[in-house]
Amino acid sequence: MSNAMRTPAGAINVERYQGAVAEGRFRRLWNTNAPGYLFLLPWLIGFFGLTLGPALISLYLSFTDFDMLQSPRWVGMANYVRIATADPKFSAAMHVTLTYVVFSVPFKLTFALLVAMALNRGLRGLTFYRAIFYLPSLLGGSVAIAVLWRQLFASDGLVNAALSQFGIEGPSWISHPNYSIYTLVALSVWQFGSPMIIFLAGLRQIPQDMYEAASLDGASKFRQFYKITLPLLTPVIFFNAVVQTIDAFKAFTPAFIISGGTGGPINSTLFYTLYLYQEAFGNFRMGYASALAWILVLIIAVFTAFSFLTSRYWVHYDD
Amino acid sequence: MSLRVSRRNFVAGGATLLSLSALGTSAFAQEQRLRLLWWGSQPRADRTNKVSQLYQTKNAGTSITGEFLGWGDYWPRLATQVAGRNAPDVIQMDYRYIVQYARRGALAPLESYMPAKLNLDDFDKAQIDGGSVDGHLYGVSLGANSAATVLNTTAFKEAGVDLPTQATTWDEFARMGAEITKAGKRKGMFGLADGSGGEPLFENWLRQRGKALYTADGKIGFGVDDASEWYDMWAKFREAGACVPADIQALDKNDIETNTVSLGKSAAGFAHSNQFVAYQAMNKDKLALTNYMRIKADSKGGHYRKPSMFFSVSAQSKAIDLAVDYINFFVKNPEAVLLLDVERGIPESAAMREVVAAKLDENGKVALAYVSGLGDLAGKLPPPPPAGAGEGELMLRNIAEQVGFGQLSPADGGKQLVTEITQILARG
Repeated sequence: MSNAMRTPAGAINVERYQGAVAEGRFRRLWNTNAPGYLFLLPWLIGFFGLTLGPALISLYLSFTDFDMLQSPRWVGMANYVRIATADPKFSAAMHVTLTYVVFSVPFKLTFALLVAMALNRGLRGLTFYRAIFYLPSLLGGSVAIAVLWRQLFASDGLVNAALSQFGIEGPSWISHPNYSIYTLVALSVWQFGSPMIIFLAGLRQIPQDMYEAASLDGASKFRQFYKITLPLLTPVIFFNAVVQTIDAFKAFTPAFIISGGTGGPINSTLFYTLYLYQEAFGNFRMGYASALAWILVLIIAVFTAFSFLTSRYWVHYDD
Repeated sequence: MSLRVSRRNFVAGGATLLSLSALGTSAFAQEQRLRLLWWGSQPRADRTNKVSQLYQTKNAGTSITGEFLGWGDYWPRLATQVAGRNAPDVIQMDYRYIVQYARRGALAPLESYMPAKLNLDDFDKAQIDGGSVDGHLYGVSLGANSAATVLNTTAFKEAGVDLPTQATTWDEFARMGAEITKAGKRKGMFGLADGSGGEPLFENWLRQRGKALYTADGKIGFGVDDASEWYDMWAKFREAGACVPADIQALDKNDIETNTVSLGKSAAGFAHSNQFVAYQAMNKDKLALTNYMRIKADSKGGHYRKPSMFFSVSAQSKAIDLAVDYINFFVKNPEAVLLLDVERGIPESAAMREVVAAKLDENGKVALAYVSGLGDLAGKLPPPPPAGAGEGELMLRNIAEQVGFGQLSPADGGKQLVTEITQILARG
């Protein structure tokens, strides 16, 4: 490694300044930073080659008619106009996705917080439970779990077997248009592991003496939660909410597996990403699908910006 | 530690790499390579790979690699590879997509290789036409099949209901279904699958009425009355308990594993004849194949022998000659054909059909007997469906579900289906 990396930050600046005068700013900067960029290279190649490049190409394709077999044909705003004015499936898919986001994110976060608080009470074997509860998050996106979910919520699945104990004869939840989306919400809530781990870390940050002082003053457990835990946890809640919302917008695998790629029954599980996939690879409309993708990016950006704007009214940072 | 490479070293190293890669190409240039891509399950892959090995032993200096995926994943992969100029040489093609791929220049025309290199003399003429688009041959049929009803004969027997025959009408079949449901010998089992969203069923029914799904010039081939009556017929079947309710039918993802017969939810279901072997393998009960029912005692011509799948050659291929030779081997070499059996359908070549027929096992014979015994139920092969037919199929099913779950009346369902499909076809 070069010497510069071992000297304190202040020293580098001086050295750089002198270097720039002596032998040219860029050569000196290059000598200092080249190893850094070299180590970054794999990531840089990935970022430009696999993320930014394709993203820009898809932006271009969104203004074309492209069936993947012939060259793209420029159509201007036609794809976007169709999305906005003449695509009932777009609104259907948007409706399904928003339902999924609105139900899955709050339930998942609440559940994650509850479990995190339970685990934070100095349980024996904490690491074991933590691992167990985290497990579904690792498995959740997989095909096997989506298949398992089909079994659980089918007409003769475990859920209905349990309900029949109480004399209730349930429908086939997974394949009924009124309920299918909620089985997918349940699947998402079940994967509460990663927000839970973050909540757990957040809870550990809250100074214990605050709770001690509060109990001395006679504050109830609920009041302590409401007045201490929640406010001090808002940065973590905010982070989790933003990340989980973005994730929920992008959900694809469960709906794809459970409906066999159709988004059925009756478009009830036609997630936005699934519709996009159908248009691109089922109907060979890569241009239109690219436009759909950019609309999704826009929607997620608006949601995230909105969250950041409102955050100043409810997120409390220590400093 | 220094990460620097001197310019001299760099150039030297680069030159070495370059010369090495040049060595590589010259070494491999002797060997002719062929890439195959097909959809299907493991047993199909085993059979196909055995044929490839056989071909390699008989043709020294050729190297054939194959890749296979499930139906759903296959089309995205193929489209991506074609778009990326990385298409496989030999492509398994479906009747639904051949027009789309051929018209867009992705497939190589093969008629100039006939008959010297590609000998299809004893093929059914209609099946060769099935692989032709705009007067060029783009696909060689790998076998014939036909849509079929799968019967769980054990369940029929338990309920004391006779199996349907070639004379059975839909109304009679529905009565049989209702009887099986009513007998209730097995928990959760109904008589029939709900076929209202099944495209082959709807097409068969339309053809018996002298209509079609699509016309030869790619327009919609039926009217609101037809579609409404179709949905209405199944609504009555559902009401009578002849077929499964909508939430059970919706479990069917249009594959063998989730068909209501395989799930034990119905005693009769709807499939294709070449799938029979796989169906029987999934079911402990004894299964049988029969035709789709007649709409009236004297109506006919609903069925047709369909090329179950083709081998096409990519227009991008650098080894078209070799690809054609391989395909010719695949459909005309007795050893290869015996390895393939009737898993891809019944061989189109009359000579090869005899070779296979002599060695078929019991389940293979069922499919063969079924397709060759269709009689007056079989009619002419319809023209290949237009682009957008895939969307049309989803729409038929979507509206069938809306009717099934009571969100639409059969009459409105029929109206909507015609409107939607007309729009889909106009969009292309």
